[in-house]
Amino acid sequence: MLPQRMKKAITENPKKLANLIDLVNLPSTLREFVGQSQTSRLGCFMRVWSYIKENNLQDPNNKNVVNCDEKLKTVLLGKPQIELAELPVLVKLHFSKVSK
Amino acid sequence: MGKIPPSFKGSQFPKSTLLKTPQSLSQTPLLTEKPQHFLKKIPNKRPSKSPPTPHPPPPPPSLTFTTPLLSDAKSLFNSLITTTTTNKHTIPSDPRFFNSILQSYSAISSPHDSISLLNHMIKTHPPFCPNQSTFHIILSQSCKLHDPTLSSVHQALNLMASHGFPPDKIAADIAVRSLCSADRAEHAIELIKELSLKNCSPDTYTYNFLTKYLCKNRTVSAVNGFIKDMREFCNIKPDLVTYTIMIDNVCNGKNLREATRLLGVLAEEGFKPDCYVYNTIMKGHCMLSQGGEVLSVFKKMQEDGVEPDMVTYNTLIYGLSKAGRVKQAKSFLNVMAEMGHFPDAVTYTSLMNGMCREGNSVGAMTLLEEMEAKGCSPNSCTYNTLLHGLSKGRLLEKAIELFGVMKAGGMELETGSYGTFLRALCKKGKVAEAYEVFDYAVESKSLTEVAAYTNLETTLKWLQKAREQGLVV
Repeated sequence: MLPQRMKKAITENPKKLANLIDLVNLPSTLREFVGQSQTSRLGCFMRVWSYIKENNLQDPNNKNVVNCDEKLKTVLLGKPQIELAELPVLVKLHFSKVSK
Repeated sequence: MGKIPPSFKGSQFPKSTLLKTPQSLSQTPLLTEKPQHFLKKIPNKRPSKSPPTPHPPPPPPSLTFTTPLLSDAKSLFNSLITTTTTNKHTIPSDPRFFNSILQSYSAISSPHDSISLLNHMIKTHPPFCPNQSTFHIILSQSCKLHDPTLSSVHQALNLMASHGFPPDKIAADIAVRSLCSADRAEHAIELIKELSLKNCSPDTYTYNFLTKYLCKNRTVSAVNGFIKDMREFCNIKPDLVTYTIMIDNVCNGKNLREATRLLGVLAEEGFKPDCYVYNTIMKGHCMLSQGGEVLSVFKKMQEDGVEPDMVTYNTLIYGLSKAGRVKQAKSFLNVMAEMGHFPDAVTYTSLMNGMCREGNSVGAMTLLEEMEAKGCSPNSCTYNTLLHGLSKGRLLEKAIELFGVMKAGGMELETGSYGTFLRALCKKGKVAEAYEVFDYAVESKSLTEVAAYTNLETTLKWLQKAREQGLVV
């Protein structure tokens, strides 16, 4: 059920999509991490996720957990450890509606 | 548009069409006669002096035009003539050689310049005598022009007439197809009306091509208007193929009323439905989620003595499976084999789909083994169906295993199975694996980044919520 409903939501709600792929001016903390002054929420998520993969930051005992290094901490509220499941939410925090 | 791939021939259809089973089957008759373009062998009606045969002439030097400038093209052609005569090469007198020159120039120039080049070619090299195909090049080029009027098309037709080729069915067909490829269907209709006033009405292939084009790109009322116009102006009546195209079209649009009306008209006009019509009707029932109805259509078909083909059986099995009558569907496997139609990947996938709908994904897996044992290899659609079924049926371990096979085979994921699989993984707390699936979906370009991510985000959001409520660990 869910996938279809969601697909509908995407096609019927252009605002939600815009919110995901529109380029946004980044705050300084993110700018340093991403290396660009502008990016979309999706781009930012992909950047963080590939950073985690490149640096093997997933906990070897529990892959669902990420042990943040110093650089990653700067963008993820300074938490030493996060769960993969909360990654999209954490990234979204930087892209609040106010910044639009 | 317009060109019908050979794979449309009756029994086989493209792999990925499981969920919209038979493609427009009605087109097969079109394959038999198509307007030939100049490169295909067209017998020369005009006697051309055959080239000296003792030794084969050297391969004709080819001309490539780099600029659309007329003067450049002319001088290029002149140099071709002079160099070949001084080198004692023979210039093929076959008009096809000159046609190919003209064709390559017409690809980058305007119709006006092409006509000028043609005149120049005739003047400087009198042995060249343009044939019908030569003018078809010009005609098709002038049709592709984005012109608010038909004037350039008329110009081309007049040119043909002045060279002794009055407009005929072939010219009409080429013009209509070219106009449609430039999305000028309204002009094509106008042209057909004009031509039929001049006693040159289109043949059924042109007519059905245009009907099909209108079905795909215009509204139902536009199609009906066209049919009516053709009846009144040109005295052309729709034939069985036309009706098949139209029925298929309205069924795709889930327009039940119009489909019933068309079937009534079909009977009124005294047509006896053939296999393709029946297949289309069955497919229509599937589209309208009345899968159970296919059986009665099938029975009627047998009563009428129409021989079912592969597509009929596949549609039948698909419809029954969709309606949850898998057992009945399965019984047709043997029937079709007896009739000499061996179940293919589409047949088995439809059945598996039905089994998974019933929640019998284990049975579907057994069927996969059976299918492979019979030497029928599954396609990506089969795997997606199974992945979906296994994820829904809480057989996650098997689903993961299956995903491994898909990944190794580089198969694409479909949106539905991707979503279900993600959810099943997250439900069991395998978030890292879900991320891997996400990566694969993006890498293999099965889904766009946006679609894949939105799905992942929603699933994870749902997971967090479920965890808060203590539903999932």
